[in-house]
Amino acid sequence: MSPTALASTKAAPRTRTETLPGGYAGKLLRVNLTTGKIWTQPWTPEEMRLYVGGVGLGAKILYDEVGPRVNWDHPDNRLILATGPLAGLPVWGTGGLTVVTRGAMTNGATSTQANGFFGACLKFSGYDAIVIQGRAPRWVYLYINDDVVEMRDARHLVAKDTWECQDVLSAEHGLAGHQMSVYSIGPAGENLVRFAAIQGDYGHVASKNGCGAVMGKKRLKAVCIVRGTRAVAAADPRGVIQAADDIAHDLKTDPSARSLYEWGTLPALVGLYKMGVLPIKNYTTNLAPPNVNMADWEGPKLREGFDHRGHQCSACGMHHCHMQVIRKGPHKGELVDEPEYEGWAGAGWAIGCTDKEAIAWLNTRIDRACVDVNEFGWVCGWVMEGMEKGFFTKAQLGFELRWGDAEGANRLLEMISHRKGFGDLLAEGMKVAAEKLGGAAREAAIYTLKGASPRGHDHRARWDEMLDTCTASTGTLESGIPVHVTEVGLPPRINPFNGEEVARQVAGILGRRHFEDSLGACIFTTRTRLENMCRALSAATGWNYTVTESVSFGRRTAAILRAFNLRCGIGPEVEYPSKRYGSIPTDGPAKGQAVGEQWEKMLDTWYGLVGYDRKTGKPKPETLKKLGLDWLLKDLWGKKR
Amino acid sequence: MGEEALSPSESLHCTVEVVSWVTKFIGGPGAGRKEIEEPFVPGETVRDVLQRFSGRYPELDAALWDASKKELGEHIEVMVNDAVLGLSHTLDTPLRVNDRITLLGQYMGG
Repeated sequence: MSPTALASTKAAPRTRTETLPGGYAGKLLRVNLTTGKIWTQPWTPEEMRLYVGGVGLGAKILYDEVGPRVNWDHPDNRLILATGPLAGLPVWGTGGLTVVTRGAMTNGATSTQANGFFGACLKFSGYDAIVIQGRAPRWVYLYINDDVVEMRDARHLVAKDTWECQDVLSAEHGLAGHQMSVYSIGPAGENLVRFAAIQGDYGHVASKNGCGAVMGKKRLKAVCIVRGTRAVAAADPRGVIQAADDIAHDLKTDPSARSLYEWGTLPALVGLYKMGVLPIKNYTTNLAPPNVNMADWEGPKLREGFDHRGHQCSACGMHHCHMQVIRKGPHKGELVDEPEYEGWAGAGWAIGCTDKEAIAWLNTRIDRACVDVNEFGWVCGWVMEGMEKGFFTKAQLGFELRWGDAEGANRLLEMISHRKGFGDLLAEGMKVAAEKLGGAAREAAIYTLKGASPRGHDHRARWDEMLDTCTASTGTLESGIPVHVTEVGLPPRINPFNGEEVARQVAGILGRRHFEDSLGACIFTTRTRLENMCRALSAATGWNYTVTESVSFGRRTAAILRAFNLRCGIGPEVEYPSKRYGSIPTDGPAKGQAVGEQWEKMLDTWYGLVGYDRKTGKPKPETLKKLGLDWLLKDLWGKKR
Repeated sequence: MGEEALSPSESLHCTVEVVSWVTKFIGGPGAGRKEIEEPFVPGETVRDVLQRFSGRYPELDAALWDASKKELGEHIEVMVNDAVLGLSHTLDTPLRVNDRITLLGQYMGG
């Protein structure tokens, strides 16, 4: 066991302004895994206003501290686990965690979120973020309990899946439930699977861009935070409660958000199917099998098939997250987390599986081995299609894998997680595997040329998300999902197959998501008007934070991440879908719609509206100046302008 | 409910299909779907039928339209014959017998 280290605070006083805004702990926890040094770093109120927290803070640290030669697997890469000023306050869903790093899928910037209790526990221990660098000489986990911060021996946790890891740590510390938050990697992260994720609090996953592989490379098995004893003070407690009430009321009654309030993301199954957006069998069809009645896939139906109970995150009143027990089949009696829409898609429809019990089971296996369920769905569906069409063989894989075979999919998951046999190549992710194999295999693979994994949708019927995924600097969506778009002056609806309208919408909403992901709040509880979120932030901090400032802040964050990616060599030349990802649906509601025919025009429009240079991908000098990013001018344009 | 009566001899019918949680706005459980036969006269458009239909259900009316009550708001997707508006139909396309208008909850989530 490493020596106990009390987190030492540098003596440097805060500059300029002495008063800490409400909602902040005021310190970043710094950990160097190579040297074992642990220390805290204060940040100033001015920096808080500029970078807020979450991805805003993480983007600045990433840009400042991770140079172009520091690849995702370099010890100097940073793994930033950040929350925001609303975490720990009584606003719904504010246990939020944002992971920022240079990720393993794109070797570029990453912003990926999870919830549970991590953000609140971190804040109650007195920290706004953890910045991890270096590589431990042997497997460790990070233990945080107020000022006691230790790198502890984790050799007994190696090879355990994420739920087992949390079980062991809970037992060792005698703390369970809301008393301690544990985020860990599974075997996939240990074995540097490029789409490995970080999972916490039984079912919450920061899944994108291989952040679990980064953690694995650092030999950091888990971060374990005891619910601390520090109070989180709001500048205007009554105002926070009022804003929180309004947000909750909005979520419960707003025509769009109330389905989320009641059923989480489950209603998306039927809705997206009707739109041609539910991905079926690796994009080979958009029609359900004849023996499947889509009425059985509505939210209430999905939930009533299992024994279940609520599994709410910190301060959350949504009827969203649930744990459930499988009632029948080979895994009868097993406890699983209720799949999100993405789980039903990635562990189900994308691989041709419509057996609900099997999907719920496989989805949890994926969380426990700990890979991104989206990427796993694309990889597994691709292998299944390949075996059907003959571009993969039983000899190659070691067994037969047919559409809908959840047990076989789990076997494939094991191979990938432990890099066994053919699983070693698949562990490199869709893009690398497809481009290495070439031919028919490459033609059938779903990926972006950046390497980022599309979400569990058929984006051929959802061009906004395809454009967003391909142009994003985060390893996943950067702008979507559109929420209350009229609030930022956009038309209430668009024709989803009109490239011009699509590009205008994607560009028009840029910024909102980065703002949400900087607050320490959940993506689902921020499905309210920006005005409400700004009121909550203002009451928490004492600032007068406006919708205009929130959008400007978000766009500033996007520009920093884009500058980071450009410095890493990731530019406009890879802002394209793979052949299958950008193909034309052959049936279903989007039959015949050809995104490829409008792609260049969509990019032209998007670039023009976000103020980036179409040829180089750089934010234009006037854009940087408008966003207050003059300090980036020299880096991007080579001279002071 | 204030709608104009159409005599059976001159009325044609289309179907308004209300899906999943949108059924709550017309007194349903928020699941399943409801199909309602709606009469129309030749020349009436998607907009005409939807305005008359939603006029019977205040919650749906509030969710479906923007503040002007003339254009669609951002909460409910409208499809005609399983295609989103903008492909085969717009709000101002005249309806034909057996056309099916679907009201679907806007997707918000991940």
